[in-house]
Amino acid sequence: MSESGPSGRAGVALHPGDLHEEHELSAIWYIAVWIALVFFTFLTWFTGKQHLGTWALFIALAIACTKSVLVALIFMHLKDSSGMTRLVFATSLVFVALLLFFTVADVATRFRPATPAGAPFGTERSQPEGLLEHEMPE
Amino acid sequence: MSHEVAGLPEGILGHHFSSLARQNEAMRLGMWLFLATEILLFGGLFCGYAVYRFQFQLAFAECSRHLNLTAGTVNTLLLITSSLTVALAIHFARTNRQRAAVICLVLTILFALGFLGIKAIEYTEHFHERALPGKYYAFEAVKVPGSAMFYSLYFLMTGLHGLHVVIGMSVLAWILWRTVQGRYSSKYYTGLELGGLYWHLVDLIWIFLYPLLYLI
Repeated sequence: MSESGPSGRAGVALHPGDLHEEHELSAIWYIAVWIALVFFTFLTWFTGKQHLGTWALFIALAIACTKSVLVALIFMHLKDSSGMTRLVFATSLVFVALLLFFTVADVATRFRPATPAGAPFGTERSQPEGLLEHEMPE
Repeated sequence: MSHEVAGLPEGILGHHFSSLARQNEAMRLGMWLFLATEILLFGGLFCGYAVYRFQFQLAFAECSRHLNLTAGTVNTLLLITSSLTVALAIHFARTNRQRAAVICLVLTILFALGFLGIKAIEYTEHFHERALPGKYYAFEAVKVPGSAMFYSLYFLMTGLHGLHVVIGMSVLAWILWRTVQGRYSSKYYTGLELGGLYWHLVDLIWIFLYPLLYLI
């Protein structure tokens, strides 16, 4: 698809490799990715049910990120996309990361009176007696 | 205001593009810019989730265990499979197998309907248990500070995602119609590809929602 149209605007004809080459993956690739996604779904289901404490969130996010990379690279063809589209996608991820990092850093470093009623509650171990009957925050 | 390209339906190449390859690249870039804004939109909700999960860890864990894990897992599998069928639909259209592409798109829409059906059953359960957001929260099973906040975020995140499923389904139905008309082939399939990109994004968001809501 590198020749100009029949309307005769020859001056803007593209050179080979000017835009990214369109080459098609075989259907086996998509099915392989689907099998991997199903595997990771059961893996996150299994590890999630174990309630692994501190590591649970890390493991769940690591598996979710792996699944997303597979979907973005193969299903969404980011593997064969131009640098521009990759840059757009990467930029959005950077800004979500900035948003999350600074917000969580703020909340995590607040002193107790500045947190909502009943928080931070922590895990079951650090749970003070009687606090469960605490008034619900609106 | 468009010119014709040999072997293509009329009106596909805009007059302001020098070639179809350039138009396709511009369309793709535009779609990714839109997807970036969608990621930021959900990013705000994920950020709110991070803050309140940090503040109310016990409530989030307790509430999460009262969600229907089987429904969530089946829905994850449905969306993953629908992503596969969309990817295959694009693959088949690109290789001039329109009938297979049509079948894949129909399957995708059916999976999407299945997803919404299961979500509707879950929502009905929440309403019966009065596990509702904010001041409407009256769930007997969990009475921990912050549990109303969990359900606020749960309904906001799954609700916005569900809205995206409905929009994605409508876009796919429109694309299905155009595929039936034979508009997509190895020469031109960008419209189908962009609809597929939107659907994959819906799947990507759910990939994160599933462990964050159902598996704490």
